[in-house]
Amino acid sequence: MRWLERLIEKLLASSPPTYKGVLGVFYYVDDAAATVRDLRQAGHTGLSVYSPVPHHEIEVALDQGLSQVGWITFTGGVLGLTGGFALCIYSVLSYPLVVGGKELVSLPPFVVIGYESMILLAGLSNLLGMLALGRLPQLKARGPYDARFTEDRIGIWVPCAGEEAARVRETMRGHGAEEVKVHA
Amino acid sequence: MTEAALDPAAIRMEQETGHVPPPPVTPKTLNDQVLQMLESPGLGWLALLAFDLVVLLVGGLALRNQIVLGLGVAGYTRPVMWAAYITNFVFWVGIAHCGTLVSAILFLFRSFFRRAVYRVAEAMTVFGVLTAGLFPIVHTGRPWFAYWLFPYPTQRELWPNFRSPLEWDVFAVSTYLTISSIFFFVGIIPDAAVARDRAKNAFQKLFYTIFSFGWTGSQNQWKHFYGAYFYFAAIATPLVLSVHSVVSWDFAMAQLPGWHSTIFAPYFVAGAIFSGVALVINLLIMIRKAWKLHHLVTNNHLEKLAKLVLLTSTIVGYSYLVEFWSAWYGPSEAERDLFWWRATGHFWWAFWIMFTCNVIIPLSLWSKRIRTNPAILFVICLFVNVGMWFERFVIIVTSLAHSFAPGTWEVNYRMSWTEAAITAGAFAWFFMFFLVFLKVLPAFSIAEIKETLRAPLRGKPS
Repeated sequence: MRWLERLIEKLLASSPPTYKGVLGVFYYVDDAAATVRDLRQAGHTGLSVYSPVPHHEIEVALDQGLSQVGWITFTGGVLGLTGGFALCIYSVLSYPLVVGGKELVSLPPFVVIGYESMILLAGLSNLLGMLALGRLPQLKARGPYDARFTEDRIGIWVPCAGEEAARVRETMRGHGAEEVKVHA
Repeated sequence: MTEAALDPAAIRMEQETGHVPPPPVTPKTLNDQVLQMLESPGLGWLALLAFDLVVLLVGGLALRNQIVLGLGVAGYTRPVMWAAYITNFVFWVGIAHCGTLVSAILFLFRSFFRRAVYRVAEAMTVFGVLTAGLFPIVHTGRPWFAYWLFPYPTQRELWPNFRSPLEWDVFAVSTYLTISSIFFFVGIIPDAAVARDRAKNAFQKLFYTIFSFGWTGSQNQWKHFYGAYFYFAAIATPLVLSVHSVVSWDFAMAQLPGWHSTIFAPYFVAGAIFSGVALVINLLIMIRKAWKLHHLVTNNHLEKLAKLVLLTSTIVGYSYLVEFWSAWYGPSEAERDLFWWRATGHFWWAFWIMFTCNVIIPLSLWSKRIRTNPAILFVICLFVNVGMWFERFVIIVTSLAHSFAPGTWEVNYRMSWTEAAITAGAFAWFFMFFLVFLKVLPAFSIAEIKETLRAPLRGKPS
């Protein structure tokens, strides 16, 4: 079993650090938010912030805006609704079985199929939208990551190099970062 | 500080009821407390699982017996051709309703007490639908043809009848299983990342990496996670209301006394929430006792759930009385006769078990003292679930046993041992999933409970 364990560890290991930048670890939310604001003002737009829970202060500092996943969900819902009705209507027209002279296309019972199909496709699109926009699944870390970010610490990663990295490091320290690591 | 600890009323109540005041909870201790449930199983858990598997095996053997010998081994006696299996189907779909109620509807209403209880309720939902889904297949007698239920192109271009409530059921239940499973697994993503980061070996790390989809907790991920979570809740809410309505139309669309009623949809939805919340209370009480999590699932949480049980009990009780009123006041003599027979005829005992467990016993929940006493609450919720199983039995069996043809009234259904074993096996099937869930996935939402802790602020002016 040891060989299997080693194989899994190898598969999950992060790729060699080819990235360049600065990672700051913060405890206080307002420190992290102030750092994000200053870094953005200094022109760093590609920064990533990691945290165990979402923080409104950081959202505002990042000026993130709302998720667009709702539009993907809406599109899925419309497709599901039309697809559900289309399936019912196609099925009765392709093999007509007239019972008691009643209309083949009887919309009221088809509402149930259309409604459930709408919810099914909206839900599936919502999932796919969330995964696609959130860049998931991500089985290997794409940047420096620390297990403390799922506990109680906030991480700010700024891709940069050279003198820029030194300035970023100073900004982070100035705002009370507990730890700053430069990946050169 | 936990949600409970932030709430002075909850602290007072904990102290009044004799519980140790909740210890201060930090993000680290919260991670540790929830993840301790995932450690190697103890003897108690193993013994429970072994017992569960034995019962499941008995149910499986009974099912094998039925497949080999045919549906004759079930207690079906014309005209009662729907009985224990459809009772179980409706019961388990009902159980499955609590999860979506707690996770979706209470999320939309910003009822924050859900955070400590919704994962257990959601797991119960997924396993409840998995159990419910077995019964239409068992009931067909030829389960290998179950795929005929689904619309697929055939050489003969023959399609299912989309005007039939039974086909509506296929769409409603399979949609519910899909959406509630997605909702459940999506909610687990950030918590699986916590477990991944604390995995003790490579196998655990791989397992939780898969469940966490490689979650890192970046702000971009959180933004789309909560964006999607809101829409999941928004679409799951009408779904939960529609599913049991559709199940109720399996009956209400038939012109049978006792079934053909417009009250069925809201009556079934209320009943479903009633039984589901009762079972989630039972499960929470057992879990918090087994893992000593009284400060995560407080009496305050249980009391709020008990209020939901009380509310839905009154709706269910009202529906029972309205059914009798409509029968008495309405024009149908057959309907009047059926309802009188339901309460006084051959199955009077089933009716009165249902009425006592679902209407009379839950009245005690008007007392705060009872709502905040976990032991009594546990027993009341057990009664509710017995009552709700009998409710479905009464609706299905008594209506069929006393239909329009008086010549059939003397024929009375009796449950066979095969049906009883398969019914017990279904409970074992449900608890098998649940026991395994408790050992492999975080049973409480670490991320959402963490959100209720005070965010650390240095207090610098921004």
